[in-house]
Amino acid sequence: MTDHSLPASADIRLEGVSKSFDGKVKAVDDVSLAIAPGEFFSLLGPSGCGKTTSLRMIAGFEAPDAGRIRVGGADITDVPVHKRDMGMVFQSYALFPHRTVAENVAFGLRMRSLPREEIRRRVAAALKQVALDGYEDRRPGQLSGGQQQRVALARAIVIRPPVLLCDEPLGALDRKLRQSMQFELKQLQKELGVTLVFVTHDQEEALAMSDRIAVMNAGRVEQVGAPAEIYDRPRTRFVADFIGEINLFDGTWDGGRFIAGDGRSLPATMNGARPGAGAVAVRPEKARIVAPGEGAVAGRIESANFLGGQVLYRIAASGDRHMLAKETNMGAAARPVGTEVGLLWNEADAVVLEG
Amino acid sequence: MSARSVDAGRLAYYALNGAIIAFLLAPIAIVAVFALNPTPYISFPPVGVTGRWFVKFFATDDFMVALWLSLRVAVVVLLLSMLIGGACALALARGRLPGARFLTAFFMSPLMLPAILTGLALFQVFQLAELDRPVWGLIVGHTLVAVPYVLRTTLAVLANFDTRVEEAAASLGASPMRVFVEVTLPLIRPGVIAGGIFAFIVSFDQFPISLFLVPPKGETLPVVLFNYMKFDLDGAIAAASMVSILLALSVVLLLERVIGLKAYVKL
Ligand SMILES: Nc1ncnc2c1ncn2[C@@H]1O[C@H](COP(=O)(O)OP(=O)(O)OP(=O)(O)O)[C@@H](O)[C@H]1O
Ligand SMILES: [Mg+2]
Repeated sequence: MTDHSLPASADIRLEGVSKSFDGKVKAVDDVSLAIAPGEFFSLLGPSGCGKTTSLRMIAGFEAPDAGRIRVGGADITDVPVHKRDMGMVFQSYALFPHRTVAENVAFGLRMRSLPREEIRRRVAAALKQVALDGYEDRRPGQLSGGQQQRVALARAIVIRPPVLLCDEPLGALDRKLRQSMQFELKQLQKELGVTLVFVTHDQEEALAMSDRIAVMNAGRVEQVGAPAEIYDRPRTRFVADFIGEINLFDGTWDGGRFIAGDGRSLPATMNGARPGAGAVAVRPEKARIVAPGEGAVAGRIESANFLGGQVLYRIAASGDRHMLAKETNMGAAARPVGTEVGLLWNEADAVVLEG
Repeated sequence: MSARSVDAGRLAYYALNGAIIAFLLAPIAIVAVFALNPTPYISFPPVGVTGRWFVKFFATDDFMVALWLSLRVAVVVLLLSMLIGGACALALARGRLPGARFLTAFFMSPLMLPAILTGLALFQVFQLAELDRPVWGLIVGHTLVAVPYVLRTTLAVLANFDTRVEEAAASLGASPMRVFVEVTLPLIRPGVIAGGIFAFIVSFDQFPISLFLVPPKGETLPVVLFNYMKFDLDGAIAAASMVSILLALSVVLLLERVIGLKAYVKL
């Protein structure tokens, strides 16, 4: 059953890679990354932050202005696309409209001048892997979005590339299909053992699928880490804000204590932060709702959103601030809107942000 | 009630379509009537049915020589304008040429000029170059006015072309040459061929340019017919027109059959 000719997956290194278009703003600005063999690695960030440009440089569609790119130890910066041996899945799928499904999948094998019989066998196996056997003779125009997506995937993996590059491959699918494809893609990646670089602007998708994530902003990498690390220990204000919901406090570090703008001291440990101006952040689920007098911050419940397993409270605090707190739904009724409450958290749960 | 208003709308729709088709086909029908009418001059209403005009057309050497020349010229023009128009369209759409818009307008300009001026200008050029109206000069003239058709249809295809498809081919190991042969060419082909059909018809029916560029005894069919009409206005003219129409139609059908026009690319 199992295919023993699994591809050797390769590591990818970006070393100080930069790219600007038309001599203007840098689309990618001095990015360095080390992606391990067999890793599911996501590039995550808002629109225009340089994710696609980074991926296209790895694929070879764009040449970096500065820096080197290495795959499996070899410097491929100047190697043309067709000699890089990477699988690529585009958001728009980019299937060959004039060819059948089987011909699409066979294309890369034909370029490698493999014997007919082997091509036929591998195409059949790849289509089976993406559950599209029986669709060999259809044309892309006769397939649904999800099916086209799987043909694109089969076409990329059939060449057994050590590296698979995906640019928002699930972006055009509806929510439900997207979730099942997320699962299938992850499964397939583990099965193949391929190094996968995955571009997305959807943080939930990145958190759910990745081994590690690089969060990008304005052409730079803000933080690289496992999903839990990115979520629990965001290093910068941008990452804290971009991933999930968070309560941000500006203030100053003074004698090991964090003093918020309004003069209150908030629970937080300095661990490494420089004295002076700083910021801390607290996830809504780490904030406990307590009696008004007992909290580090006081406010009034403005709204309560029922999320199924949890209730999300929006709390109006002094100085026109709003804060979020999540409580597990224990079966009791939600706290009524208008209630005066306090918010408290463990010192260890306050994330110290750089700058 | 609503069913009846739907029917009325549908009826109007069919009536309009019928009118348009009648308008387009009426001239052809009239030519067919004249070609089959036995009277020795063109007249209406017809008095019978005969094949004599077709016989006369095919039995007259002048007509046959001219028809054969017109066909050969049109085929060469078809090939040349697909090659030149297709290549120009690729260069203009892809080449990042400075002044690509100006160049496009320039290549399209033979369509804006009255063909009779183009013919006169070419005639003078050949005179100055002391060339005695060679056949290749005629082909150049026709190609000049035929290329814009191919250019236009190919540019239309390229405007909607998803270049990711070419990138996908490259990432799968296709060299630039193979990307061109395996992906680019098949995808622009319908546009090039659609333009080529126009080019064939433009050349085959070409009168104003040919008028200046054909030597005596080396005339194309439209010029021969024009000269014939100056003295005789009989059914042979109509028969010749029918033959031209059927030939043009068969070229369209042949290309459509053999290479396929409709395909996946929307024009
Ligand atoms: N071919 C190009 N020519 C000029 N500018 C470009 C080109 N490609 C990208 N850019 C610019 O580079 C920046 C980064 O673009 P990129 O496509 O990498 O963003 P992205 O992170 O993939 O965004 P999105 O999530 O919207 O796809 C943007 O400001 C974009 O306008
Ligand atoms: Mg992008």
